[in-house]
Amino acid sequence: MRVLGQIWTMAAKDLTLTARSTHSFLTTLFFALLILVIFNFAFQPGVEATRLSLPGILWVALLFPGIIQLNNSFQREQEQGTFQAILLSPVDRGTFFLSKCLSNWIFLICIDMFILLAFTVLFNPRVTLRFLMVVPIILVASAGFTAVGTLFAAMVVSLRAREVVFPVLFFSIIIPIILAAVSATQEILLREQLEYVGKWIQILVAFDVIFLSAGFLVFEYVVVE
Amino acid sequence: MLLSSKALQISRLRSAGRCLKISGWVLVPTYLVMLAAIYAAFLYAPTERVMGDVQRIFYFHVSAAIVSFAVFIGVFLGGIGYLVTRDRFWDSLAASSVDVGLFLTAIVLTTGPIWSKPAWNVWLKWDDPRVLTELILLVICVAYVILRTAFPEGHRKYAVCAVFGIIGALDVPIIYMSVHWWNTFHPVVITMSEVKLDPMMQQAGLVALSAFLLLALVLLLQRVSIRLHDMITKDILKNLREQE
Repeated sequence: MRVLGQIWTMAAKDLTLTARSTHSFLTTLFFALLILVIFNFAFQPGVEATRLSLPGILWVALLFPGIIQLNNSFQREQEQGTFQAILLSPVDRGTFFLSKCLSNWIFLICIDMFILLAFTVLFNPRVTLRFLMVVPIILVASAGFTAVGTLFAAMVVSLRAREVVFPVLFFSIIIPIILAAVSATQEILLREQLEYVGKWIQILVAFDVIFLSAGFLVFEYVVVE
Repeated sequence: MLLSSKALQISRLRSAGRCLKISGWVLVPTYLVMLAAIYAAFLYAPTERVMGDVQRIFYFHVSAAIVSFAVFIGVFLGGIGYLVTRDRFWDSLAASSVDVGLFLTAIVLTTGPIWSKPAWNVWLKWDDPRVLTELILLVICVAYVILRTAFPEGHRKYAVCAVFGIIGALDVPIIYMSVHWWNTFHPVVITMSEVKLDPMMQQAGLVALSAFLLLALVLLLQRVSIRLHDMITKDILKNLREQE
């Protein structure tokens, strides 16, 4: 229970900071909207071929803003020197990792919901109860993104080339999540029957569990100087 | 401090020498098995009825693919070993495994098109789960190398690389599973799962597989030994500079 309290306290601290400086939230959101608008020009709207690539468009739009946020997870700590302070506080390193994951996850989900809304408006998919099934997939997939992204962000935080190195590491590991999420969305948006969605969600959940626990265990080795 | 660093250097020299020695022992059987594999693939195994002689590349292609998966065991163990013991031998093991992995995935992805162009008239079959898995393995290896070059020498570099290696190795079964399911979800034109191999082909395949296993082992041991020697030389150089 105490650990849960610690996780929530630290995550709430991060979320408060983010909420007070709306700058990063709005910029990330604007970036996501721009991607969607560019896709709207790049693919002819209303054409069958565009309809078939809708799942891919949605996930690219969900993914890229996420990278910016995740890559900057520890930027504030790094710049203001609070990293050491947190490491000195009587909190387990793994707990620190989970709290960062939680705050990043909540941030991403908030952005993702706006992106989903913008996607619906711009690309006009058939909005039914079934379309809403995309939401749980976004929730589970973002948890996987955050687990891997938060860990890697801590790894590269001190690097000068982190803007380049982070996406390289991040994308090479999350390919299975993208595959699972896009395939599940394809089925929801384009197919008559939902045969494999459950299986895809299973893969996503397995990914989340494996990488959250791995991150929890190895995080302490990443943050030592 | 100086004494302990000297003792460390000597122990590293010993392990480097041991690696070289074992690789020397394995080298002769490797040559023999490689010759046997070439014989088995080109002369012993019967010609495939539909694809003809080009199918013979299968023996090397599939064996390299299987061994490229096994290499990630070295990356995983090396990563865990380094994080637990902080001994740079384990870091060398992980980094060398990635080097061998790069080599093997590159072999798989070059022999693949040579086989698939005449057989299926495409260079790379993107909807084939095996092609995709192999490509992702290559990507992870390249990402590991990029990460390694981005960091300055020091404990942090080795720790971070160990963590990335562990995460990458954990990712392999998930990649395999998701790509496999992705394949069942998409319509597949050509499938290999029903193909039954002739017993002679199976034997040739086994010989080629052992050849690649031995070759990977030799390369791995040599790489580890080179890395350890490199480490020792750099340490000596650093000490000399400090004395000046």
